[in-house]
Amino acid sequence: MAADNLYSAKFKEHLAHPRNAGELPEANAIADETNPICGDRMRLSLVIKDNRIEAVRYLAYGCPPTLVCGSVLTELINGKTTAEAKQLTRADLLESVGGLPSRKHHAAALAIETLKAALEP
Amino acid sequence: MPLRRVYLDNSATTPVDPRVAAAMARAVVETFGNASSVHGFGQQARAAIDRARREVATLIGARQNEIVFTSGGTESNNLAIRGVCEAAAAHGRHIITSAIEHPSVAGVCADLEKRGWEVTRLPVYGNGIVRIEDVAASIRSDTVLITVMLANNEIGTIQPVSEIGSLVRERRAVGQKHLWLHTDAVQAVGRLRLNVEDLGCDLLTMSGHKLYAPKGVGALYVRRGVRLHGQNVGGHQERERRAGTENVPGIVAFGEAAKLAREEFEQRSLHDRMLRDRFEDAVRERISDVVMNGDRERRLSHLSNISFRFIEGEGLLINLDLEHVAVSTGSACSSGTLEPSPVIRALGVDDELARGSIRFSFGKDNSEAEVDYAVEVLARAVERLRALSPLTLVGR
Repeated sequence: MAADNLYSAKFKEHLAHPRNAGELPEANAIADETNPICGDRMRLSLVIKDNRIEAVRYLAYGCPPTLVCGSVLTELINGKTTAEAKQLTRADLLESVGGLPSRKHHAAALAIETLKAALEP
Repeated sequence: MPLRRVYLDNSATTPVDPRVAAAMARAVVETFGNASSVHGFGQQARAAIDRARREVATLIGARQNEIVFTSGGTESNNLAIRGVCEAAAAHGRHIITSAIEHPSVAGVCADLEKRGWEVTRLPVYGNGIVRIEDVAASIRSDTVLITVMLANNEIGTIQPVSEIGSLVRERRAVGQKHLWLHTDAVQAVGRLRLNVEDLGCDLLTMSGHKLYAPKGVGALYVRRGVRLHGQNVGGHQERERRAGTENVPGIVAFGEAAKLAREEFEQRSLHDRMLRDRFEDAVRERISDVVMNGDRERRLSHLSNISFRFIEGEGLLINLDLEHVAVSTGSACSSGTLEPSPVIRALGVDDELARGSIRFSFGKDNSEAEVDYAVEVLARAVERLRALSPLTLVGR
């Protein structure tokens, strides 16, 4: 299948079964970001207590890398302190999804942008 | 009930028919002579090419010597458009085409535009069909070529080529002798009953791999009397119109495929339409918020282009691929450009719907079971992606 050459096993798993999809009615940190070039969108909803991310959900619209970066991101930040989460880079995320072709790096950029916006005081 | 693999992308390419493959395999081994050689080996190759030429000509109602074999649809389009425009340059440099041509036509027109030709691109409105009044209004005294595809590859809509043909004949009758009509019929051959006399076209492009023949072979119909500036030069093959030692196995395959397309036309048409309609009925029943793109009546009967609201095409495509269902999308992400399909956009559809469009194209090897499986997979994937999409909340 197409995905065999392009995407890792982890990527395909997250695509078939996105983690933490949805919204959090009790969220106290929310961000919506759009990639102006391709129109991909991400929404992050967090519950932050005592500087720790206690719960996270995401929504995403766009190509598979965008959908997967969101899912992997939520796993990476769940339970972390906000200070730790702020350290997460695009490169960390790309490595975590098993790498992406350079023309799809915008997906990781969008996820990190959304995270930063959500963690703004 | 997972099936092994379900191929619903017959408009991208078709699987080679085993009978075509067998004919080709025999030719590869047995008919190796150079058709330009005078001896028996050469003449055997020559005869094989002529047999294939006859079949291809018969399929479209042309004369044998009006068929030029090429390496495929793209080369045929290049030969037709460049060939005619270069030969007619002294009489004018205006070309009329549509806004929804295949890249191999649009690209050649754009290239000629850079080199001093003027190109008028006709709109297609909401139904995806060019209006004959627009064609008539665009013809000028310096127009030398009208190139409008017979059926569109993304949405399947059928263009009024025979009406354009009549217009062209009228103009010629009153003195505009150097006005030619070309049609890219790559998607239409084998799916619509074609006759070049009825169409009134001077040039017509055909591609082997859309017709259950292999990739690497196609043909260009060139009406007797059309002046064409050859693009591959340096040999006498194809009556000086396309130099190069002939691809005998490919041509033999194309000939066999053309013969089968003619003999099996009825059953294939009925079969493809039945599957497509079954698919569309099931989609309408199972999945909400869908938009069917392109005129409902004047379109090929094997193809369905559907936009799924709130989700993006490549995401849907890969989700389907994970479950072994193959389709294609007009989404920008998958094409590597940043613009969604120009064809879908030309319908006046907004960006989001354009990005969420998927093309399903059925063929003779598909079955009802495959259609039913594909609908199941599709419904699940759409639901999953909509649950994930921030647009779903806003849109409903």
